[in-house]
Amino acid sequence: MILHFCRWLQDNGLVSFLNGTAWTAAAMEIIHYFSMFIVVGATAIVDLRVLGAVGARQDARELADRLYPWIWISLTLNVLSGFTMFAGTAPSYYGNTIFYDKLMVILLAVLANIIVLQQVRKWNQLPSMPAWAKLIAFVSIVLWIGAIIAGVEVPALTGVG
Amino acid sequence: MDGSLISFGHWLQNREFALAIAGSDWAYPFVQVTHFTGLSLWVGTNVIVDLTLLGVGKKSSEPVQFSNILFIWNWIGFGIAVIGGLLLFSVSAETYLTNIAFLTKLGLLIPLGLLVHIVIQRNAPAWEKLSEIPRAAKIAGITDLLLWLSVATAAVLIPYVG
Repeated sequence: MILHFCRWLQDNGLVSFLNGTAWTAAAMEIIHYFSMFIVVGATAIVDLRVLGAVGARQDARELADRLYPWIWISLTLNVLSGFTMFAGTAPSYYGNTIFYDKLMVILLAVLANIIVLQQVRKWNQLPSMPAWAKLIAFVSIVLWIGAIIAGVEVPALTGVG
Repeated sequence: MDGSLISFGHWLQNREFALAIAGSDWAYPFVQVTHFTGLSLWVGTNVIVDLTLLGVGKKSSEPVQFSNILFIWNWIGFGIAVIGGLLLFSVSAETYLTNIAFLTKLGLLIPLGLLVHIVIQRNAPAWEKLSEIPRAAKIAGITDLLLWLSVATAAVLIPYVG
């Protein structure tokens, strides 16, 4: 059933065009890498602020308010380009457990983003960042590095992508 | 291509550390991770500063003096990316040194990007204090953004042209 869907996806006209033409395939990769850099970089800056490693005089809530719109826009571009590349050879990702791990780590990382964004207002009003805030910020950085590890391990260990 | 450059590439990729990375199952992906993690900090912070200079998103919240707080982590990211990049390069230096996309990336786009970046770093604190962003700042911001986007483009094109 899922495999059937993967095959259908691969044969989709738009998917074949985007992956079958050299310049569109390259464009997908460029968008995927560049948007990933913005997601991970901007997330890390907010996390590092919560951890106390980025300008303490900078208001944490303000920083999050400024950076999070870029994080969400870039994440959307990242997911769209990533999905298009996945769709191009969808059946070969079926049963690819490292790819599943990658998706799971990204899901957890985005969850950490949501928690940080929602809680940063509260944390900001306290005299100092609570320990659990720092823990979540640290976990967020570890998860995004984990997502990159899983990302490079998919082709390295499975030859797919 | 200059013969001495090729022989340097040949020499480099036959060093023990380069052979060790190439011969290991796990080392190469982890070097890639180092490169990408560093790039995330470098490019991520660059783009944020560039977009601020372009005035994008500025009205949505109170002004933030990005330049001062971001540049330290910006350069830390660059350092990590360079370490990862050098190790990736050393694994097949000879091939990279004959690849036009790689040579354009390293010989032209990165030096230009760094130059514009340093101009921005020196001027951003003054630009951000002004009530209106000067035209020079906007030009520098868009140039920096486009240059780093073309660095990523050249990097992606390495296997396409090789």
